[in-house]
Amino acid sequence: MEANHLEKKPLETNKFDLFKYHSLFNQNVQISYKGPFESKVLSVLGNYIKFTIGKNPKASKKIFNIFIELAQNIAHYSAEKNLFGVEEGVGSLVIAEYSDYYAFSTGNIVKNEDVIVIIEKIELINSLDREQLREYKRVQRNLPQREKGNANIGLIQVALTSANPLDIEVTLIDDKYSFFAITVKVDK
Amino acid sequence: MENLIVEGSHGVYFVPYVNFNAETGECELAGESYLEDTVLFYNPLLEWLENYINKKREAIKFNIKLTYFNTSSSRCLLDILNLLKDYEDEGGEIIVNWYYDEEDMDMQEEIEDYEIDTGLHIHLIPDANLAKHEDEEMD
Repeated sequence: MEANHLEKKPLETNKFDLFKYHSLFNQNVQISYKGPFESKVLSVLGNYIKFTIGKNPKASKKIFNIFIELAQNIAHYSAEKNLFGVEEGVGSLVIAEYSDYYAFSTGNIVKNEDVIVIIEKIELINSLDREQLREYKRVQRNLPQREKGNANIGLIQVALTSANPLDIEVTLIDDKYSFFAITVKVDK
Repeated sequence: MENLIVEGSHGVYFVPYVNFNAETGECELAGESYLEDTVLFYNPLLEWLENYINKKREAIKFNIKLTYFNTSSSRCLLDILNLLKDYEDEGGEIIVNWYYDEEDMDMQEEIEDYEIDTGLHIHLIPDANLAKHEDEEMD
């Protein structure tokens, strides 16, 4: 069984409260999405980010680059798969705009056993200055492709593109799964 | 030897424009690179270059006009540049021109990283039309 964070409840109490959901978002939120990180959906979101979100083309380009890397991580690695039989991982994405930066967040369910590795990777990335980070990327890029792709260099690239520390939050769901959220700032 | 041409496209994925000319040895890689299967796309490019190097053994002028590539594509680009560097070390004549948007600092850093990584000399050519071209692609 894949992760299923919805508890099984009688139908009436399980009814989705759209108002509550809608009210969660303040006016800073430009885009929010929860669902399969499937290529066609990603392409629509990506184009919107690239061509519409930024009055500032530099920031748009950066957000787009970060979006592609993080979205691919979710598509490939999320422990939650969608219920329509597609292989892509399920996750959430929020882009919020503040006076001097954009905050780009993604979240997805991960297996508890993978949490430590991800946290260590991100702590390492955050501990390096820009030159060390570039060096680390070059070293990682020269390693042979691992079987499951290259999440590692993707995260390094995200840190380089954003030029800010990666902010992560891990919430334990049960004895098997946790929710992993990452927020990346892009200065205007 | 045949030319290798791929018309770039901008759909769910971004396929770069490829024009490798077997007559002149002039090779162009342009547009944006974000592919469903990156290795599957780049392997024929590497094979073409290996073939050209082994059979024709003439000069290669490699022009890169990419405005965006994801990290998977960046690994394949490294493979291409390493191949060109190996040829240069064996005495092949190689010119690598990288056209870039001067406003794009991230791209300049990326190119510098490729120079450090491969030891190739990359000619940086500022090209203000690149960014404009990218916007037109979407219309």
